[in-house]
Amino acid sequence: MSDRFFERLRDDAPRLRYEPDDVMLTRLTARVRERVASQPTVESFLARWFRPLAMSLGVLALAATLGVQWYERNQQQSTTLEAALSADPVEISMDGNTYTLSR
Amino acid sequence: MNLAATMWDGLSSPSLRLSFAMQDEAATSNPASDDPIERRAIEAVKHGDAGSYEYLVAKYMKRVVSIAWGIVRNAADAEDLAQEAFVRAFQTIDRFKSGERFGPWIFRIVTNLSLDVMKHRTRFRHEEIGEDEPAARRDRADLAAVTGELARRIDDAIESLPAMQRVVARLYLVEEFEHAEIAEMTGLSAGTVRSHLSLARGKLREKLADLYE
Repeated sequence: MSDRFFERLRDDAPRLRYEPDDVMLTRLTARVRERVASQPTVESFLARWFRPLAMSLGVLALAATLGVQWYERNQQQSTTLEAALSADPVEISMDGNTYTLSR
Repeated sequence: MNLAATMWDGLSSPSLRLSFAMQDEAATSNPASDDPIERRAIEAVKHGDAGSYEYLVAKYMKRVVSIAWGIVRNAADAEDLAQEAFVRAFQTIDRFKSGERFGPWIFRIVTNLSLDVMKHRTRFRHEEIGEDEPAARRDRADLAAVTGELARRIDDAIESLPAMQRVVARLYLVEEFEHAEIAEMTGLSAGTVRSHLSLARGKLREKLADLYE
C-alpha cells in the first residue's frame, strides 16, 4: 500500500462532508443578516461617543453658569450692605455715650 | 435553490440578484473559482452596502458550516461558529485586501474559532466529554452520509486520531484542502501540516487496511 491508499481514501472521504439542511441555512442566513444589520455605522459609532460627551459638557457649562451667577449675586448683596452701612451709620447710645457704627 | 429563493429579497443590488441563482451551485462546488461578482460584492460591502454581504454568506455558508462541524462535531455549535465567523468577517472587511478571495479568509476565521472551541473542550474535558463516549462521535447522527459501512469505517478511523491530526486529516481528506491551504487556515507551518498528515496516514492505513488492500 503506497500513497495510492491516501488518494483512494481522499476519493471516498468527501462523502463525510457535513451538509446543513435548508432549515439551518435559512436560520443561519437570517441570524447573520440580523447581526450584520445591527452593526454600527461610522455615524452611529461617532454619535454613540459624541452624545455622552456633549451631555457631560452641557452639564459642566450649566454648573459653571449657575456658579458664576451665584457668585455675582453674593458679591452684589455684600456691596449693597456695605453701601447701606455707609449711607446710614448706626448710632448706639449706652450709658450717656453715643457710639457710631459706620464704614 | 431553496436557499436562493429565501434570500432573494435580501439582496440589495440588482446585479447581484441577477447572478445569484446561477452562482449558488457553482460557488458551493468550486469556491476557489475567480468570481467577479464576489469581488463586486466585497467592494459594495466595504462601501457600506450590507445587503451585498448576503451573496458571500450564501456562497460560502455550506462549506463554512461543514468545516466547523468537522472540528467540533456538533450541529448547533457549528451553526453558532459559522454565524460568528461571518459576523467577524463583516466587522473586519475593511482589512480585506482587494483582489484576494473571500473563501480562504472566511475558512481561516471559522477554523480558528472552531479550534478554540475544541481546545476549550479539551481543557474542560470532564465537563464536555463522557469517559466512554467521545463528544466527537455524539453528533454523527447529523451526518446523513454516514449510512454505509465504508463511510462509517472512515469516519471512525479519522475520529480515532489525536486532535490536531484529526483536524488536519479531515481538512485534507474530507474537505479536500491542499497542504498550503490547511497551513493558512490552522496557523500551522506547512511542515507541521505534512507531519500531522504523515502520522495520520500511517494510523489510518492500519485501521483501514482491509478496505484498501
